[in-house]
Amino acid sequence: MAELSFNLLHTLDPRRDAYGFALRPQHVQRYKEYAKIYKEEEGERSDKWKEFFERLVISDQPCSSDEEYKETLRVEATECKIETVLESEESDDSGGKKSISDGSKERDLEKEVHRSKETKTHEVQTWAQIRPSLGAIEIMMSSRILMSKDMIDEQKTISGDHLPSIEEAKSPGGASEEEFDGDVYVNATSDDNANATGTVTAEVDEVSPKNLFPLKEEVEFLVRGGVPKDLRGEVWQAFVGVKTRRVERYYQNLLAQEANDGEHKDHEDSSGVPKKWKRQIEKDIPRTFPGHPALDDNGRNSLRRLLLAYAQHNPSVGYCQAMNFFAGLLLLLMPEENAFWTLVGIIDDYFGGYYTEEMIESQVDQLVFEELMRERFPKLVNHLDYLGVQVAWISGPWFLSIFVNMLPWESVFRVWDVLLFEGNRVMLFRTALALMELYGPALVTTKDAGDAITLLQSLAGSTFDSSQLVLTACMGFLAVTEARLQELRTKHRPAVLVVVEERSKRGRVWKDSKGLASKLYSFKHDPVSLIEEKKSAEGGDNLELLNSLSVDSELGSLPDLQEQVVWLKVELCRLLEEKRAAVLRAEELETALMEMVKQDNRRELSARVELLEQELAELKQALADKREQETAMLQVLMRVEQEQRVTEDARISAEQDAAAQRYAVHVLQERYEKALASVAEMEKRVVIAESMLEATLQYESGQSKAHASPRSTRNQDTSTRKTGLLSFGLGWRDRNKGKPTDVKESNLSHSPNEGMDPSSSEKETKNEQKET
Amino acid sequence: MGCSSSLPDRSSGQLAGLNSENGGVSDAKNLRVKLVLLGDSGVGKSCIVLRFVRGQFDPTSKVTVGASFLSQTIALQDSTTVKFEIWDTAGQERYAALAPLYYRGAAVAVVVYDITSPESFAKAQYWVKELQKHGNPDIVMALVGNKADLNEKREVPVQDGIDYAEKNGMFFIETSAKTADNINQLFEEIAKRLPRPASS
Repeated sequence: MAELSFNLLHTLDPRRDAYGFALRPQHVQRYKEYAKIYKEEEGERSDKWKEFFERLVISDQPCSSDEEYKETLRVEATECKIETVLESEESDDSGGKKSISDGSKERDLEKEVHRSKETKTHEVQTWAQIRPSLGAIEIMMSSRILMSKDMIDEQKTISGDHLPSIEEAKSPGGASEEEFDGDVYVNATSDDNANATGTVTAEVDEVSPKNLFPLKEEVEFLVRGGVPKDLRGEVWQAFVGVKTRRVERYYQNLLAQEANDGEHKDHEDSSGVPKKWKRQIEKDIPRTFPGHPALDDNGRNSLRRLLLAYAQHNPSVGYCQAMNFFAGLLLLLMPEENAFWTLVGIIDDYFGGYYTEEMIESQVDQLVFEELMRERFPKLVNHLDYLGVQVAWISGPWFLSIFVNMLPWESVFRVWDVLLFEGNRVMLFRTALALMELYGPALVTTKDAGDAITLLQSLAGSTFDSSQLVLTACMGFLAVTEARLQELRTKHRPAVLVVVEERSKRGRVWKDSKGLASKLYSFKHDPVSLIEEKKSAEGGDNLELLNSLSVDSELGSLPDLQEQVVWLKVELCRLLEEKRAAVLRAEELETALMEMVKQDNRRELSARVELLEQELAELKQALADKREQETAMLQVLMRVEQEQRVTEDARISAEQDAAAQRYAVHVLQERYEKALASVAEMEKRVVIAESMLEATLQYESGQSKAHASPRSTRNQDTSTRKTGLLSFGLGWRDRNKGKPTDVKESNLSHSPNEGMDPSSSEKETKNEQKET
Repeated sequence: MGCSSSLPDRSSGQLAGLNSENGGVSDAKNLRVKLVLLGDSGVGKSCIVLRFVRGQFDPTSKVTVGASFLSQTIALQDSTTVKFEIWDTAGQERYAALAPLYYRGAAVAVVVYDITSPESFAKAQYWVKELQKHGNPDIVMALVGNKADLNEKREVPVQDGIDYAEKNGMFFIETSAKTADNINQLFEEIAKRLPRPASS
């Protein structure tokens, strides 16, 4: 009902986009530009899909034996058709199914409006079957669900979480379906595949395996191009496998249960939706796409019922903010119960563990995404690291909201098209990576953390080119596959679990079995054996009846609590055992590893020692060489020193020589002076001698006068002569005093004579005197 | 953290480089501050930010999923500017698991409660304890009682807020995002209380 009112109202407000969502003021202009492109794309896309359906119809027709199917195919040829199943508790006898086979949308709308009134009064839910032309896709997809369910069954069924309650509810549901002439296919999943009903086996056989592969390829191609607006709701249901997931009356029962709880509010331990979730849901309903034309009172009531029912259905998740947006989005595209099953598919399956109390898987995905980022955009991540921005700050909200409110709506829808088709979270990663690829170049120019985050937020918010985004995501990151992601998740999960463990230890203590169950749920990736559950499932009609009864009265929790407790205990023991075994094995491995490491180390060490030894030898050699050189140098130095010493000695001796010579000169001088002195002495003596001689001569003349006159005259002469000579002599001496040097020279030259024989000099003087 | 340049490796368990960046101080005149808003769902965290950054109030604002980011720069009287990098976190209890991602390395934490809801006051006390245990030891904390315009529906007395804040060394203020009462004052007061980098 919401869907149709929304289709009518959407284009009225210029500040809202074609889907009725509010546009940010800064985006109105850009949206207008892109609205034309969207329209063109939409036209191309509906042509493509139409053509695809036509081909499908032709190829399917010969195989189809189902009368109703053929009939609806005819209807399909006209235009969009919605087959509505109206169910109410009071109208069991009506057959529960009403097929509207005329092609006019308007009449559909009328009926819808009419029915929504009914809904109010009788608390009736609407369930619409999707158009049969999507049957092939639906079957293709539901075979995926069947397969994955087989696996999930093995893992989960008995772990006390939500899935078994569906499984068990299905059996009685299937039974009642026949009464209601409901959807036969649903039976297929209700029992184990062992006794799948013939219809489905037949149906699946028709399409698979030979037809399935090319079909899938083709659908994938179409989906990447976008799903036409009018088909989207149904196509999404086909992708999620709503028909296969659906259990008749399950949704109604959840609502009835919830209504009962509401009536008996005084019940202390009501098994219904815990108060905190109810309160949160109430808080969030008006804050979900506020102002959206389809979310009027009716829309909000649908939203409330949907969220409460889901909380009831899966207590390990309950209600988590973000689901309000998903539920609201789905309600815009499909009837309430369809939306419920689609939501179940998304939250339980595609995003298992994401929105649970501890949000483990969402934290794991952030670590995985960061690793992919580092691998793909090392430069960008370096820059973000430098700015102090953690990738998860931005990508966390992207992932948790599946881009709702983060991208323009056209892009959100396009991403969801692919994501729901693929049935896992690969598209989440690819889209986030594509955004980083598109905006990374702008991001690396930012200068601080705030600018970077603001820029990325606003760029992402204006990613109007949805085709570019989806194409980049799907084509640019082919290496990001589910297998790769699982591998990385396994790698990063322990780190998250450790933190969560710590948190829950210090925070709250889980006392109730619900906590335990949710813990177990979080370990759903561990293989858990099915055997026990199978036993209990086959335990007989009684048990099944019991199960179904308690499911009716106590939806969401397992029927037999005691049994559950026992089972949980067993399971716990087994897990503990496994843990112990794992610990032991880990220890073993660790020791082995240590051993290996040691060996490895030893080898490495010896190699290193060798190397070092070599190096050492080389160094020694070098050292020796150096020493040799040094000694040589020393020798040279010493020689030089010696030589220096020798020259020094020579110099000293030369100096000594010089001194000696000077000394000799000095001595000679002295001698010379002595000689001079002695000469002076001699002269004195000469004088004395002369005076003595004179005296003697005077005496002699005195004597001769007395004896002989001749002689005395002659003697007189001589005496005068002698006096003259004496006076001459004295005079000479006086003259000499005036010229001492001359005297010296003459003295020197005469001295030997003087010294040797004074008498001869006397004789000379005598001779001189004679001569004169 | 506000003064991470002078106290480099104080906060425990994370990269020092990260710290110095997001605690964020560019220089003495232009501070950069990472601020995180915490508090119960629906107390008006997003509204406070929107009022502060855009001057708007939308009575039907959207639920915050994960966290959202906005930044705003204010000028103080002493001619310094402070750029607030504001992380507005999701209020639902389970999102507390993701909160450390945002409050780690934050220089300021604003813990918000709704004066008409005692539960939200209790939740605020939980956040204060959590921050004291696991937040940055130098974090500046503010306790904010929002929806002060609904005084007639008040269930948390002003004195309770004052007392609790005083006991825990926090700054306390009551605000109304609806009437814009005390919103700017809140951020200005925070700015004044920031440890300044030593002027060089």
